[in-house]
Amino acid sequence: MQASRARLFKEYKEVQREKVADPDIQLVCDDTNIFKWTALIKGPSETPFEGGVFQLVFSVPEQYPLQPPQVRFLTKIFHPNVHFKTGEICLDILKNAWSPAWTLQSVCRAIIALMAHPEPDSPLNCDSGNLLRSGDVRGYQSMARMYTRLAASPKKG
Amino acid sequence: MLGDKYVAIRRTRGDGNCFFRSFMFSYLEHILEKQDRVEVDRIKANVEECRKTLQSLGYVDFTFEDFFALFLEQLDDVLQGNETSISHEELLNRSREQSVSDYVVMFFRFVTSGEIRKRSEFFEPFVFGLTNTTVEQFCKSAVEPMGEESDHVHITALSDALGVPIRVVYLDRSSCDAGGVSVNHHDFVPVPGNLPSATGSGSESIDPFITLLYRPGHYDILYPK
Repeated sequence: MQASRARLFKEYKEVQREKVADPDIQLVCDDTNIFKWTALIKGPSETPFEGGVFQLVFSVPEQYPLQPPQVRFLTKIFHPNVHFKTGEICLDILKNAWSPAWTLQSVCRAIIALMAHPEPDSPLNCDSGNLLRSGDVRGYQSMARMYTRLAASPKKG
Repeated sequence: MLGDKYVAIRRTRGDGNCFFRSFMFSYLEHILEKQDRVEVDRIKANVEECRKTLQSLGYVDFTFEDFFALFLEQLDDVLQGNETSISHEELLNRSREQSVSDYVVMFFRFVTSGEIRKRSEFFEPFVFGLTNTTVEQFCKSAVEPMGEESDHVHITALSDALGVPIRVVYLDRSSCDAGGVSVNHHDFVPVPGNLPSATGSGSESIDPFITLLYRPGHYDILYPK
């Protein structure tokens, strides 16, 4: 518990320093609980998620960093490796390939990379995965783009 | 067969971290018994090298420094004469304590990964032969995550990085081809330069003070006569 708290505090300081270096990620710690974080990430360019801003919620276990943080999308997203209802993310580093060399910040970077490079062979969203597996890239992109506009685009005016 | 050469075996937990845990206990126990301050100074210098290796590979300090600190703390504590010195019994307790043991295992995993990446050209063919992946992928998926089992690549890298020779006795079928019944062993001897000071020059044989018993899928600690 003490170790995880100390580690998260170091990450907090690092995040303050990295803010400028990584404008695509805005990682914020809960005011009252250092084990709860949220992040706003920008959809990577040249993907159907471009222009969207996606919110992630982190729940950090007491055994962190020996155990991975739990992360899910709060913003709805149409992606083969994200559960359409719960926002759960299928990513190896959040499960068996986790190591303390990862940080909350680098997890965000890995999620952005996953958005750009979906893995349709291990889908959490089968509809999305099936479109890609059957080679219907256009169908996948237009569905994903539609949800980006509907759910992840900043409201104007 | 083993009884001819070894007096005892100490079993370690079988959770994929057994090699690192065996190494940790065996090494700290050796220091505790021998009070070898020269060896402690030597390994500390190597640990500092490992720290620099990780930094030069682009690892962020705060991701590994806690694990390094905890290992160095254990080293100081097994040396007697400090306020924090511990007995053999306390070493046993600590090694069973998940929060200490896991952190030391993670320290070794960082050191191992750093060494493999630093000498990726040397390790590449072995890694490829073992898992068919790149060094980078191997370190990320088979070295750094807790619970990933160790193979000769891990052992070689850890032994080299810390400059600690390790003997592994293989209780598998690797010696059956010869016909007679025998037990194979292999000594992992660090590359020159990292060796304990007493064995610095030339080819005299090194007597590893860490002996592990390998049975397919698991490592335990052996105590030679």
